[in-house]
Amino acid sequence: MKAFIAALVAGFALSGVSGAQAYHRFWAGCNADPPTFMTTMTRDAAQTYANAARYEGYQWGGGCWNYDDVDSYPNDPPQQAGTHGEGGDCSGLAFKTWRESTDPTKDGRYYWYALRNVHGPYTAADFRAGYGAPNHTVAKATAGVMDAFASSTHIGLVFIRSLYGGDQIVEAKCETCGTNIFYRTYRGDSSYGGVGRWGWTG
Amino acid sequence: MGLDRLMLNAAAVTVAAVAGCGHGGDRPARLLDGRPAAEFAPVPGSVVATARVLQLSALADCLSISERATVPADTPVVERVGVSGRSLTFASRTRVFACDGGIDPAGERPAPWCGAVFGELEDGRPADPRLDVLCVDRAYEPLAYAFVDPVPGARWIGVRQDGYVELYEVLGGLPVRIATTCGIDLENDHAAFSVTQYDAEGRELLRGELEAAVAG
Repeated sequence: MKAFIAALVAGFALSGVSGAQAYHRFWAGCNADPPTFMTTMTRDAAQTYANAARYEGYQWGGGCWNYDDVDSYPNDPPQQAGTHGEGGDCSGLAFKTWRESTDPTKDGRYYWYALRNVHGPYTAADFRAGYGAPNHTVAKATAGVMDAFASSTHIGLVFIRSLYGGDQIVEAKCETCGTNIFYRTYRGDSSYGGVGRWGWTG
Repeated sequence: MGLDRLMLNAAAVTVAAVAGCGHGGDRPARLLDGRPAAEFAPVPGSVVATARVLQLSALADCLSISERATVPADTPVVERVGVSGRSLTFASRTRVFACDGGIDPAGERPAPWCGAVFGELEDGRPADPRLDVLCVDRAYEPLAYAFVDPVPGARWIGVRQDGYVELYEVLGGLPVRIATTCGIDLENDHAAFSVTQYDAEGRELLRGELEAAVAG
């Protein structure tokens, strides 16, 4: 028994999960289906996709949600992928909304259903640097609908552009604030850069 | 190439990567930079990654001038060179940073760096392993990096590789950036590292799996 407990403690210390495996099982209802390859990708459709993710919660390292407008497991401990709750995190929402591939060398358009649990290979910092074939940096002044603003720790997508200082940003922000549209001034914040997705067809 | 073929290829890469984590490989004779691979006698079959403390100028190829300007000039930078990976690690009071070495498969970043990582510290410990799976090694195999937080008394972090244990020295009071080509699940943006922490004499302090996910 002592050996078992020691191994358990060691596992938690190494993983940094702090026993989070004991958390809820929202991910049990998610799937690993392949994406649907698409020939088109419009900014309107991306807006609709991101808008539908509103109220569905936030999960660090996550990318699986349903469409019941409720975060099934809010207020989990932050920065623990092992809590397996509902919602994407900031970069996961951007990845799915931008129809990206898990292979960073591919810039095609891949539609992921909401319940497909996928985060993608990019962190907010990766997006900010324009890493990956589908991504690139843009001047913040020209960032438009469904472009994004990213810092080293966060990314939000422009939902409605404003000319008066801030923008309506759709983002997966945190466990307590979930995924929603917020008024943000990232455009004028020096820690944020402009990011875009290649390949819009409309 | 059709989608099915793409997905099959991705699955094959995943299987190959995970399958490559056994004990069947040979112990490499050299590190990534060509130097002979030293062995730490108390850990038979080990390969010691080189580690040294550099000045901030070492970050020149990795961070932009504006990013470097936010880091105090006397910040120590730990450089590590292993068999497949190399990294630079440094920290501020609240955050830890790393530059990960390798080849950028998208061809957008010049060698030797293919990733820059930013993580938050909570009580001096990384809040998240900050997994990076964007790089590939010289054989174009997936290469994953993550932070390990040394336990008190740990001098070496051992990572089970294909046929040997790679040892990373704990330096500068910083989290240790480890790398592997094993246990990487690209389809799910996860990686599992088999990690053992040793004291200065090579006695095991902790052993377990570090399961990390791309996040944030």
